Amino acid sequence: MSSHPWLIVSTCAVLVWYLSTQAGRLDRLHHRIDVAQAALDTHLVRRAGIVAELASTEAFDLVTCVILAQSAHDALAAGDLVDVDRLQAESDLTEVLGAAFDESVDLEADNKVQDSLIAELSQICGRVVMSHKFHTDAVADCLKIRQQLLVRALFLAGRAPMPYVLDFQDDLPHAFAK
Amino acid sequence: MRIGIVCPYAWDIPGGVSAHVHDLAIALDRLGHEVSVLAPAEDDAALPSFVQSTGKPRAIRYNGSVARLSFGPRTAHRVSKWIEEGQFDVLHVHEPLAPSLSVLACWSAKGPIVATWHSSMDRSRVLLSLVKLARTAMEKVSARIAVSDAALTTLREHVGGDALVIPNGVDIGSFNNAKPLDGWPGEGKSLVFLGRVDEPRKGLEVLIKAFPAIRDRHPDLRLLIAGPGDPSHLIASLRTQDAAGVTHLGMIADSDKASVLASGTLYIAPNTGGESFGIVLLEAMATGTPVVASNLEAFARVLRDGHAGMLFNNGDSDSLSAAVIRLLDDPDQRQRLITAGHARAAQFDWEIVANQIIEVYQSVRVEGTVVEPDLTGQMLGRLSRLRITPEREEIE
Repeated sequence: MSSHPWLIVSTCAVLVWYLSTQAGRLDRLHHRIDVAQAALDTHLVRRAGIVAELASTEAFDLVTCVILAQSAHDALAAGDLVDVDRLQAESDLTEVLGAAFDESVDLEADNKVQDSLIAELSQICGRVVMSHKFHTDAVADCLKIRQQLLVRALFLAGRAPMPYVLDFQDDLPHAFAK
Repeated sequence: MRIGIVCPYAWDIPGGVSAHVHDLAIALDRLGHEVSVLAPAEDDAALPSFVQSTGKPRAIRYNGSVARLSFGPRTAHRVSKWIEEGQFDVLHVHEPLAPSLSVLACWSAKGPIVATWHSSMDRSRVLLSLVKLARTAMEKVSARIAVSDAALTTLREHVGGDALVIPNGVDIGSFNNAKPLDGWPGEGKSLVFLGRVDEPRKGLEVLIKAFPAIRDRHPDLRLLIAGPGDPSHLIASLRTQDAAGVTHLGMIADSDKASVLASGTLYIAPNTGGESFGIVLLEAMATGTPVVASNLEAFARVLRDGHAGMLFNNGDSDSLSAAVIRLLDDPDQRQRLITAGHARAAQFDWEIVANQIIEVYQSVRVEGTVVEPDLTGQMLGRLSRLRITPEREEIE
């Protein structure tokens, strides 16, 4: 081996280059996940906000309005997007919205305020579906690299926690999917 | 929103991707967004104000063909400068194949990036070998769009992952008011064919074979052929009286396309394969010309399985002539197809398509942050990173 110092040097160089590339990729993927999560969080908060506002306009019967308001409040009061409680609250809100805006609902409201709130809600529900999907894609891309043996053995990801998909229901209410 | 769009192909050379970017930029502008397009260009003087040029693409010879690409330190510098000055809310790159301006832009940017896949990548083996390079850029992309199912399949096969399918748009407005060419469609009615005459997959031969049977029923029917190539050998196979009913316009300007489409009683799309979408069908429908098309998957989807236009068995001239005769004999049915076609085409209006794309932008962007230059993604950045990496490993 000692007769081939260039071999050792070049092997090391290639290894270092490879590892630095992998570390760079991970860095970018973590950044992408952070951005995706921030976007998703923004849309979810806005969704809950609109639902709360809509409930206060008595767009539905009293019972539906109370349930909508309560679900929206639960989602807003729960913690960060990584908390189990928050994900459950978002799933619950999705379910309540699905029941309130089922296929029988005619989206033409009686007044302008409700009209624009419902249009905005429909739009934001679509954005929630998309940004949830984009977050899941980013996590999948990242996990592919983080599960590589070399990456794990050398702790190339540093202290960054293992990313995971945010598991909550985001189905578009039937009335919006029409 | 401030949107930066990267088009990897020369702006002033006609092509599908640059046409898409052009129409998207116009539609976004009309919807009140600020758009800046970065693209290579042969001649910087003739560019519209919203286009920033990266200069002339260099012609590189490989695999027996010439590819026009933009690369090199100068280009890289212009890309980062554009990103730095643009302060974009979203960066939208098109056809991010290596080695293109789009990949360069992905490397040099950090933040919400959207990428649109247009066509298949398997045209050049050299490009395929560089897909790995493109993959590192793709990892920075937050949202992927494919313009068709075929594009989605290519993306899945070569890069992996998923995408939303948002189709190409049609500028419905410019087709809605199209006037037919002088003297067309005429008393005896007419058929229109648009496409390369010498490309067998465009299916002109199927139509020519069906023509005599249709003429037997409608003796004054005329056929208008528009597209590059020489159809004389196909026309020569017709009976003399039928050949007299055929007019070949040759290649037509883009601005005449709408008038040509409006000149037919029916628009015929006898394509036998190789179509991933069928935008010309939508354009024909927008001009108010009913469509008769082969039952390719893409066409069946555009024509809603026959609700918005008539389908015949792919490659079958008898099936084509039967369908055409049925429609020529039935003005009520034609009127129904015109109405349904208008409605169908309107769904692909650029304004509607652009709004779908804006929703994608909205779902990836974060209020208060903009796309920033990412030096670590660039080659020079890589070198500097190389020096610090061993230290990092020791710490970890």
